[in-house]
Amino acid sequence: MPKIALIVASERLDKLFPAVTLATTAAISGWEAELFFTFWGLLALKKGYEPSEVSLDYQAYQDLLKEALASGSMPGWRTVLHQGVATGRVKIYACSSSLGMFGMTADDLEEYVDSVAGAATFLGKAKDAEVTLFVS
Amino acid sequence: MEPDVTVDATFQTCPGPLIALAEAVSRAAPGQVVKLLATDPAAPSDVREWSAGTGHKLLEITRDGDVYEMYIEVSG
Repeated sequence: MPKIALIVASERLDKLFPAVTLATTAAISGWEAELFFTFWGLLALKKGYEPSEVSLDYQAYQDLLKEALASGSMPGWRTVLHQGVATGRVKIYACSSSLGMFGMTADDLEEYVDSVAGAATFLGKAKDAEVTLFVS
Repeated sequence: MEPDVTVDATFQTCPGPLIALAEAVSRAAPGQVVKLLATDPAAPSDVREWSAGTGHKLLEITRDGDVYEMYIEVSG
């Protein structure tokens, strides 16, 4: 089965949406998806933390995104991610060094996170992926 | 064509229609026909690609104004 491997290095909504859209679309198409959340991306996996901003460059368009979400035409990024996780084919890894940088432990992470991992672990998962992307 | 299940994903943007379709197909029995309604202009090509990759059979795509109607037969 094909595989997509994504590095998610930002918790800004304009980064999270395409990342989870691709991962979940891959999963419901029968692909495997490996997601490595690192640096600021790791914040998106923190329990009780709700990413709410787009990147600074695109703040002028933020209301358009919020309106699309409020109208229901666009599903929330976490809803999309959960739908991918529910297939059993989306794996979520939390970068160990970023975890340390934020002073967090594995207990601070959402339950759908599969494991805390280092670069070598992710490379092992990603080495046979047909699609690899760095989202930041 | 008379579908067994109809999924209305009109006014949902990508990836909403495909997620709705995949959920309906996963609940349907082999041989049943799922009808997906969508207004997302990417839906026909997305459904075509998804069907080719998953093995479910795309029977027909029709269009009524802004609404695409896609018929998918669930594989075994």
